[in-house]
Amino acid sequence: MRLSRSLSITSFTGLPLWEEDNLPVEDLLLFEIAWEVTNKVGGIYTVIQTKAKITVDEWGENYFMMGPYYEHNFKTQVEPCEPPNQAIKVAMDSLINNGCQVHFGRWLIEGSPYVILFDIGAAAWNLDRWKGDLWSVSSIGLPDHDREANDSLIFGSLVAWFFKELTDQLQDKPNVIAHFHEWQAGTGLVLSRSRKIPMATIFTTHATLLGRYLCAGNADFYNNLDKFNIDQEAGNRQIYHRYCLERAAVHCAHVFTTVSQITAVEANHMLRRQPDVVTPNGLNVRKFSAMHEFQNLHSTNKAKIQEFVRGHFYGHLDFNLEKTLFFFIAGRYEFSNKGADLFLESLSRLNYLLRVHKNDVTVVVFFIMPAKTNNFNVESLKGQAIRKQLWDTAQSVKEKFGKRLYEGLLRGEIPDMNKILERDDFTIMKRAIYATQRHSFPPVTTHNMLDDSTDPILSNIRRIGLFNGRNDRVKIVFHPEFLSSTSPLLPMDYEEFVRGCHLGVFPSYYEPWGYTPGECTVLGIPSVTTNLSGFGCFMEEHISDPSAYGIYIVDRRFRSADESCNQLTQFMFSFCQQSRRQRIIQRNRTERLSDLLDWRYLGQFYMHARHLALSRSFPAKFKMTHLNFPLVQGFRYPTPSSVAPSPSASVHSTPHHSDEEDDEPYDEDEELERDRQNIKAPFTLGAVLEGKKKQSGQNGN
Amino acid sequence: MTMDHEQAFVTLATNDSYAKGAMVLGKSLRNHKTSKKLVVLIGPHVSDQSSSVLHKIYDEVKLVDVMDSGDTAHLAMMKRPDLGVTFTKLHCWTLTHYSKCVFMDADTLVLSNIDELFDREELSAAPDPGWPDCFNSGVFVFRPSNETYGKLLQYCTVHGSFDGGDQGVLNGFFCDWSTTDITKHLPFIYNMSSIAIYTYLPAFKQYGANAKVVHFLGQRKPWSYTYDPKQRRVRGEIQDATPHPSFLVDWWILYSSEVVPLLLRAYGDLPFHSGCEEGVAQHALSSMTSEERKQKWEQGQADYMGMDSFDNIQKKLDVFLK
Repeated sequence: MRLSRSLSITSFTGLPLWEEDNLPVEDLLLFEIAWEVTNKVGGIYTVIQTKAKITVDEWGENYFMMGPYYEHNFKTQVEPCEPPNQAIKVAMDSLINNGCQVHFGRWLIEGSPYVILFDIGAAAWNLDRWKGDLWSVSSIGLPDHDREANDSLIFGSLVAWFFKELTDQLQDKPNVIAHFHEWQAGTGLVLSRSRKIPMATIFTTHATLLGRYLCAGNADFYNNLDKFNIDQEAGNRQIYHRYCLERAAVHCAHVFTTVSQITAVEANHMLRRQPDVVTPNGLNVRKFSAMHEFQNLHSTNKAKIQEFVRGHFYGHLDFNLEKTLFFFIAGRYEFSNKGADLFLESLSRLNYLLRVHKNDVTVVVFFIMPAKTNNFNVESLKGQAIRKQLWDTAQSVKEKFGKRLYEGLLRGEIPDMNKILERDDFTIMKRAIYATQRHSFPPVTTHNMLDDSTDPILSNIRRIGLFNGRNDRVKIVFHPEFLSSTSPLLPMDYEEFVRGCHLGVFPSYYEPWGYTPGECTVLGIPSVTTNLSGFGCFMEEHISDPSAYGIYIVDRRFRSADESCNQLTQFMFSFCQQSRRQRIIQRNRTERLSDLLDWRYLGQFYMHARHLALSRSFPAKFKMTHLNFPLVQGFRYPTPSSVAPSPSASVHSTPHHSDEEDDEPYDEDEELERDRQNIKAPFTLGAVLEGKKKQSGQNGN
Repeated sequence: MTMDHEQAFVTLATNDSYAKGAMVLGKSLRNHKTSKKLVVLIGPHVSDQSSSVLHKIYDEVKLVDVMDSGDTAHLAMMKRPDLGVTFTKLHCWTLTHYSKCVFMDADTLVLSNIDELFDREELSAAPDPGWPDCFNSGVFVFRPSNETYGKLLQYCTVHGSFDGGDQGVLNGFFCDWSTTDITKHLPFIYNMSSIAIYTYLPAFKQYGANAKVVHFLGQRKPWSYTYDPKQRRVRGEIQDATPHPSFLVDWWILYSSEVVPLLLRAYGDLPFHSGCEEGVAQHALSSMTSEERKQKWEQGQADYMGMDSFDNIQKKLDVFLK
């Protein structure tokens, strides 16, 4: 997904670049190996595909991706060509002459990187021999029934073979860096190392196999991290061989990385190695030329959502749409991993708070989580039809009215207002109004659910009683399908929908990275995340006072479920108390964080990992100049005393806030200063920041 | 203290082997802080040493010698000599100084506090995994009563047992269990037998962690294995209907750490075989060829708690990493 952002003049003036010496890329070859290169299976595809551009920018012709060959993928995504590098061609030919099939081309994504793809099926006749090889170097065997594991062994064997042929020709120059992603590629790393192939190796895991299983199994994961007998847990879950492949790759890699601090903690316990570098996932951020364009997009898309709400809540539109906030949660339907349980409970409490405070704000909450359905339900479609009918009625009456008015004016007279509408017109309008009467509550879901009685979201809605009643200040719309711009109900694509909402809520329990809140941020929409999600950890580390920037981080790691629930409720409640202007300011700040999530900055963590790997594998040639790398220090600027507190915090004393109130001046220069104080750039503290840090310290004293 | 209202867990040990099971069961109940009394019925073949250890763990150790009782049981016994152990077990209904009891076989192990079982009525039991319309008599709630006891003996002599054991008798006697009152169906987690792990693995994965009582059904009982306390490994466990390895190890951890010391003290200088062996593991490892081990992996049976542990794999990897 390519996301857009506008260029605002308060965008911080470029994060300082990392000062580490640039690698002599012309004397190096970089390979990145992953099962999802040109092959979309899960989330790693997004990471690899979006990152390609910045890597090609840095490495040019010396960068290659490696993956499995599938004819369909190759035909639709790859432009075949000859390898530009003779050594690579010779290595490929060597495999081909031994009865394997290897393909080369440019992957038609942004940056068009070179890809080397290995045909797994065509090499399957070697499987028994390669199983023997793996067994003899590692004592790991693979069950016959696990196709994916066997495929990964074939892939890994081909990759290791290729590297052997390649490095035999290259000798010492250029040196090779091989970066492997996930356990499916890890076998290639283990085999390469066992054959003492001279290259620098990096292994990145995007989540641990066992962690995912344990969380899905409802283990109290984070409180028992150090108590699991991991061999036993993996064995009992019949993933022991996969776990061994993953852990072997981790153990053999020169540098081990993962995507977030929280996954680093997980990896430390589930794989027994502390990651050397955390390499967060980025996005490709597109800049708009128009200033604050994203704010305009928010209001146009918000209008579309309001239209939907008008239809969905027909007959119950006794709340002010101008004072209605749209919250949403989106993602795979993993009820507790994604924190939908916590969210629903907090919404129930928020409903109570808004009612007792007689707040005029209404919150409409969208759950965008695909489940098994049997198409839209009649009531939802009817709602939109009725809205359309009212619109048509208004249009036709307006037209008649206009015509009579016009004719009257032509005659030189002001028409008699009591006669300008005829009896018929009133009949039409009354009939249309009668149609809006309804005897049921507006439905909480837009679809006919296949598992209506056991569905976890619906069951919990029933339990907490949020049925979209008139008195409820929190209304719920569960849309159990991905959004589409061709939907008859809510015709918007995901990006448009996010832009139209006010707050994304993602209180996840297990979320190694978490693209959803990241996407919100880049679109300038505040979001709630947790300190158990990679994104939340990253933001917590890089911003002080994240709430002011529209990043609300719920503590689910060190607090009880009930406390987390209260915290989430409080976040949402204070969000509801913000004035329109405060929300606009907050969105500006949120959007300014986009640069933190841009691959152009986050790609530098990968650079660092590569440098580190070279220094470990070829220590004589590559030295690390910056040994005390500030990455692990978790440094954070304190909230400077000169900076106004977050808008959410400032309204506690004044709950009744009018939109006109202009108590928080928005000054571009001050905002710039605020960013300098609050946002920690990845990697370095430039001279300017260094100076500011001292200054703020003095202020504090 | 009103004797009338006392409640107790009751088990049965007919020989020294089952006595070991009873000791572990008693310890597991105590460790999970039961507030109830513990009673063990022992047969005449239990040694003095075992009996003395049982005395340390149980509140009441009651010798039951059916042949010697001279009562109705003796008469019943003479008519049905094949049901010897069954008569001993039925004897639990004579514990009338307790108002309510939970009987547990000596080959069960308690994983958490189960005092809530006393909220149930006679005869509450969990379904038998082999024929779920029958209850499994390894764990059941009953009310001691001489009247019931007499009727049970009467039933035995007339109908016998369709399976040759107490479970057949009890299912015959309480024949409306499967149809009448659902509150008398204990959840399976109160008597989770090992067989379920093999017959319905997905359910075990889903619910196994909730198990409160594991029942080591089958020919091989936990005490008939040997155990290496250093490696925390049970040997010879690759058997068809063996319980889940971790439960077996749980049993051995409790046995070797809390029961063996008591037994050693009781036996003093007399020879005693605890079943704990050390240092024999290396033989087992070398006795299997590399090819056989690889085949085990390929059948999905890596010995992950033993020689195929990741520690050993890592040692192998370190050979080329150095």
